[in-house]
Amino acid sequence: MVLVIAEQREGKLNRATWEAVAAAQQTGVPVKIAVIGAAVDAVATEIGAADATEVILVESPALADYTADGYVSALAALIGEEKPALVFLPHTYQTRDFAPALAARLARPLITDVIALKQDGGTRTYVRPVFQGKLNADVTATGPGPHFVTVQIGAFRADGAKRGASAAPTRKASVTVDAGAIRQKPEAPFKEAKQAVDLSQAERIVSVGRGIKGQEHLKIAQDLAAALGAELAASRPICDAGWLPMDRQIGSSGQTVAPKLYVALGISGAIQHLVGMKGSRTIVAINKDPEAPIFEIADYGIAGDLFEVVPALIAELNK
Amino acid sequence: MRETLDVDVLIVGGGPAGMSAALRLAQLQKEKAGEPLAIAVLEKARESGGHMLSGAVLDPSSLRQLVPDFKDRGAPLAAEVQEDRVYFLTRTSKFKFPITPPPLQNHGHYIISLNRFVKWLAGLVEAEGIDTFAGFPASEVLYDGDAVAGVRTGDRGIDKHGQPKSTFEPGVDIRAKVTIFADGVRGNMTKALVRRLALDEGRAPQLYAIGIKELWELPKGRLAAGTVIHTMGYPLQMEEFGGAFVYAMPDGLTSVGFVTGLDYRDPMFDPHLAFQRFKQHPLTSSILQGGQMVRYGAKALPEGGWHTIPRPYAAGALIAGDAAGFLNSMRLKGIHLAMRTGMLAAETAFDAVRAGDASAARLKGYADAIDRSEVRRELYPVRNVHQSFSYGLLPGIAYSGLSLVTGGWWYRDPMPAHAGYERVAKIAEYYPNGRPDPETPLTQVRIDRQLTFDKLTNVHYSGTRHTEDQPSHLIVHDAEICRTRCAAEYGNPCTRFCPAQVYEMVDAADGTKRLQINASNCVHCKTCDIMDPYQVIDWVPPEGEGGPQYEGM
Repeated sequence: MVLVIAEQREGKLNRATWEAVAAAQQTGVPVKIAVIGAAVDAVATEIGAADATEVILVESPALADYTADGYVSALAALIGEEKPALVFLPHTYQTRDFAPALAARLARPLITDVIALKQDGGTRTYVRPVFQGKLNADVTATGPGPHFVTVQIGAFRADGAKRGASAAPTRKASVTVDAGAIRQKPEAPFKEAKQAVDLSQAERIVSVGRGIKGQEHLKIAQDLAAALGAELAASRPICDAGWLPMDRQIGSSGQTVAPKLYVALGISGAIQHLVGMKGSRTIVAINKDPEAPIFEIADYGIAGDLFEVVPALIAELNK
Repeated sequence: MRETLDVDVLIVGGGPAGMSAALRLAQLQKEKAGEPLAIAVLEKARESGGHMLSGAVLDPSSLRQLVPDFKDRGAPLAAEVQEDRVYFLTRTSKFKFPITPPPLQNHGHYIISLNRFVKWLAGLVEAEGIDTFAGFPASEVLYDGDAVAGVRTGDRGIDKHGQPKSTFEPGVDIRAKVTIFADGVRGNMTKALVRRLALDEGRAPQLYAIGIKELWELPKGRLAAGTVIHTMGYPLQMEEFGGAFVYAMPDGLTSVGFVTGLDYRDPMFDPHLAFQRFKQHPLTSSILQGGQMVRYGAKALPEGGWHTIPRPYAAGALIAGDAAGFLNSMRLKGIHLAMRTGMLAAETAFDAVRAGDASAARLKGYADAIDRSEVRRELYPVRNVHQSFSYGLLPGIAYSGLSLVTGGWWYRDPMPAHAGYERVAKIAEYYPNGRPDPETPLTQVRIDRQLTFDKLTNVHYSGTRHTEDQPSHLIVHDAEICRTRCAAEYGNPCTRFCPAQVYEMVDAADGTKRLQINASNCVHCKTCDIMDPYQVIDWVPPEGEGGPQYEGM
């Protein structure tokens, strides 16, 4: 059995969980999904739509706020009881925080940032990028299970996760968490005055590059983003110039995203940018230079002046 | 509160010189028994060897002495040299030298990855119980009066505006009885030390070159492992010093590189572009066709030779390897000299610590040992070679040939030379008929991202990473010069000589241009620090662990 650990925050399911479910389903082994927290019924119902044997609720008031200690102790107990062969997690910041400790607690292997699975006879191989994504390594886990696997955001398609004929049955796990053993005391979630964006969650992204020429022209991209219901992002030069905050930077030194729609405005497509968005489902590129490398990976390309094309697009979208 | 660490010998820089020094110290300790010395090695790369870049063909003479059983201990020597070829290239043809010039004969030498080699040396050093602090650059030399007392490591966790972040950790003062500076070509610590103590007084200016290298995976059977190719001529002009190399290792892995003297005159010259042209030459493109570029890197080389080496000792300090300029530009080799000077420095340092005397008079023993060693025997006869090339390729070759007979004699010795940045001509002098248009077909190189690459793509293949939120580690003391004088006089040559597209002139809000520094692209080659015509650029170490990752280079 493969156990997928769902991620939620304040009762809201992290979309990347679906990607972990999709990956887990590829193993061909029955899938169970664990939802951790306090009062997370809604999350269980949402993820219960997946084709899974069951959804296990791990609930405790001590798990209301995320803490590494709480999660490690609850999951260690759950895994001891369920004895899964594999544990799949989305490779989120939260997973990165607790999964190494969990694997170490159980003295089991952890394979991180997996982008594909391979089955070779009886051997299950995991593909993970090394050298900043330049090479892919085939990794196998040895020794007794469970083996922990985290899957890269965007590597597996959330909408590729099979849905069940009916909702998966839900069960509460009999796991108790000793609140006293949790050493971290979480503060109220930190909110920057300007709302920090998690672009990896965006379904549509409008991204601007140097072709936008000046900060005063950003409005045209903002308008297109508004018309599409998209988040605004940028390539490195824009954030370097301070025209947009660094948390909107896509690429090897920024965020990696895989939205359904990625519109690149005036982005030439340096490899440093491409590695951060090549997993997008549909890529639309608008660039003056028909030789720009962005067109090599774009599904739709317009070789033209973005200052002519974008207003036309906005007008059409607003019709 | 700043932490302090006290050691007997501190080695700044974990390259071939530093690691050889560390290993030699461990050996001396075993040979001579007594109270063990506390030894530490500082290395700015995330792991040992991470910032190592060289061709490289290794003359194993120093290795044989340092680790006599190097083969049994698994030294990563990729291939023994089987065949040397030297070509003179014109735009479309090649002429093979009928005999390989003696300095370029590599019989008995090995093609290596310097990254792997240094990692291996670091393993031997670690096995001796010596601590290497990887990820810690030195940022400041510590003095007691005029005697060197150690170094301070760089702070961590400083944001773009110079304010401490939540991760702030102040640097540590590492105090040592003897500090061996092995921080490589144009090392930032050696540079500061030489300036403060005027160790280059009476010495000729150092002459540098920049080497740009790619590692390729070629289809089977393209070049036999152990093949060494060197070229001169195209795409350089007769007045420019440099040439290319192709070194074939097993399994189609091949090093391809281009070295250009950083004393060219043409202000529009771009070493990276010259490398692309070299790859397009029929000789090279026929080798590389169908292969795949897998790694990229660049690094400066100290090529000035014997007369340019600063006094390599001061009270409490010794300088070894490329940091001092121990490199034979005629043989295109420096690793064995780096190792040898590291070993000699270790011997002097060991005796000094045992004697409780690290005065300059005592440490002069290192310079004396160099004078008695094969280092001088090898470098002295070729002391004017690079300088002679400043008169052009043919006079350079003629003098180099002559020096094999005369032992390097010249009627003016040292042969006069200027620092490379002083030789760069102004655009108006070099192009009296107006600045060339970089977009003309004659000067343009088509970037196909198969054989030829733009700098930004190449940088990706260097594995370079820096913490983004930190101050620029490339300090331009007067950025006003860039947009005014330099733009007019030299056309901002930093945008060309930097092989990593760190420097860009971008449109400013007021319609003019301004300098943008993409510091996180920096591959730590030091070319800007060396070649900027106004000498206003200072390379200082970025936050520890930042920089390229030269795996397999």
